[in-house]
Amino acid sequence: MIFGVNPQRSREFGITLIVHQIINKLKNMLRWSRLGLSLGLAFLLTSCDDLFQYNPNEETLLDRDKDLTAKNIAKISRLPVSDTTRFILMGDTQRWYDECEDFVRSANQQKSISFVLHAGDISDFGLTQEFKWVNEIMTRLKYPYVTVIGNHDIVANGSATYRKMFGPLNYSFGFGRDRFIFVNTNSREYAFDGSVPDIAWLKAQLADNPAHQNTIVVGHVPPFDADFDKNLEKPYTEALANDPTVKFTLYGHQHRFYEGQFYDDGVNYHLTTSMGARGYMVVSTWKGGYSVERVNF
Amino acid sequence: MKKYLLSLLLLLSIHGMAQEVGLRSRRAWYLPDHLKLQFAGNIGFLSGGPGYVSRNKTLETDLLFGFLPQKYGGDALVTTTLKTTYSPWRIGLRDSYYIRPFSIGAYLSYTFGPQFDTKWPSYYPAGYYWWATAIRPGAYIGGKAGRNVVLNNRRRSFELYYELGTYDLLIISYVQNKSFLKLHDIVSLSLGVKFGFD
Repeated sequence: MIFGVNPQRSREFGITLIVHQIINKLKNMLRWSRLGLSLGLAFLLTSCDDLFQYNPNEETLLDRDKDLTAKNIAKISRLPVSDTTRFILMGDTQRWYDECEDFVRSANQQKSISFVLHAGDISDFGLTQEFKWVNEIMTRLKYPYVTVIGNHDIVANGSATYRKMFGPLNYSFGFGRDRFIFVNTNSREYAFDGSVPDIAWLKAQLADNPAHQNTIVVGHVPPFDADFDKNLEKPYTEALANDPTVKFTLYGHQHRFYEGQFYDDGVNYHLTTSMGARGYMVVSTWKGGYSVERVNF
Repeated sequence: MKKYLLSLLLLLSIHGMAQEVGLRSRRAWYLPDHLKLQFAGNIGFLSGGPGYVSRNKTLETDLLFGFLPQKYGGDALVTTTLKTTYSPWRIGLRDSYYIRPFSIGAYLSYTFGPQFDTKWPSYYPAGYYWWATAIRPGAYIGGKAGRNVVLNNRRRSFELYYELGTYDLLIISYVQNKSFLKLHDIVSLSLGVKFGFD
């Protein structure tokens, strides 16, 4: 191969050399263009969706990736209600996609599960791309899933993407005898400014329970964690303890199974572990009771 | 998309005047050697700016200013990027056309916005998050094709280039999840034009 030869200089070497050169160059061109074309085509065909990316923090979503919370709650509301409700609590999928795929395979083997709760830290870097990857995996579940926002999901444009892709950061829905309240507890991301968790909103939600359903509060950061606003720990735990319909509450964040009645107030706190630690919880509720089972996959 | 690619390729065949008579001497050292305009590549929807090239024309360094309109990005984002591209080989073709079949390069981009940090605020313990959200290092490979022309008695060059690139956070995601993630999940395409003042 001849690279970088000035055509003017090569004239000195006679016509034969020029002809050879041209032939060589044409061969090169052909080789490169063929390689380029096949690479380019393969690329176009495999990933047209994300072929061009404009910024790591862009928030580009297809319609099918928007308002997932509302869409999945609609799916859950159409599910049959039986005496016992069984659901899965898992979380911290952040940069553990391979493990999350294994989780989906394991979860799909479970019997009579209604839905899956994701305890937050869906993403690691708050990138839209990560939310999409996790959603792609989670949609392979046989069950609908809903999420609570984690601290990593708030980083950079994360919370804006979460709003578009999933929905409000605080929300609730009822299913059968149970009522689920999802609350943003990632106080550190808001510089512990007293706004997170939103205690007033939580109290209003707890009060709005005319059917006296069991209330299950789901958050990412548990109130005894250093990332939870110390000034709000007591108001938060007291709000739960003062509501007789709250028997237990669910969290993620610490990447370990952990449980206990940490405030001696009748409320049990359960933490699920991360996808990296390859574990999740199956929760069953029935009239007057509940059980929590740890699963490793 | 095919339409865009086609029209970009057509740009290649822009005909300049090829005669080389009475060319002006080299320009002052501090003036940029070229201007670039780039589409996509994680540094904006469109980015553009001046750059310098090494004497042997294999190493280019550019300062690009990028913008991503809300319409295409969900959020309007402004980015500045410093990027360096090494294209070691040049294949001369007829009519002053040439190909630089292989390029490799790296960039450092900075995205403006109060939601992005270069240094995490003091309410985080040291090392709580290990990456900076405002600064993204990335790398790419690519190639380009161009033509030397003479416009108004000055040597000029037009180049079209493509780059397949990724950045740190995607690379680490890929390395740790090779079963779920495929290479094309973390690599994206960018296209650009360069106007050189040789």
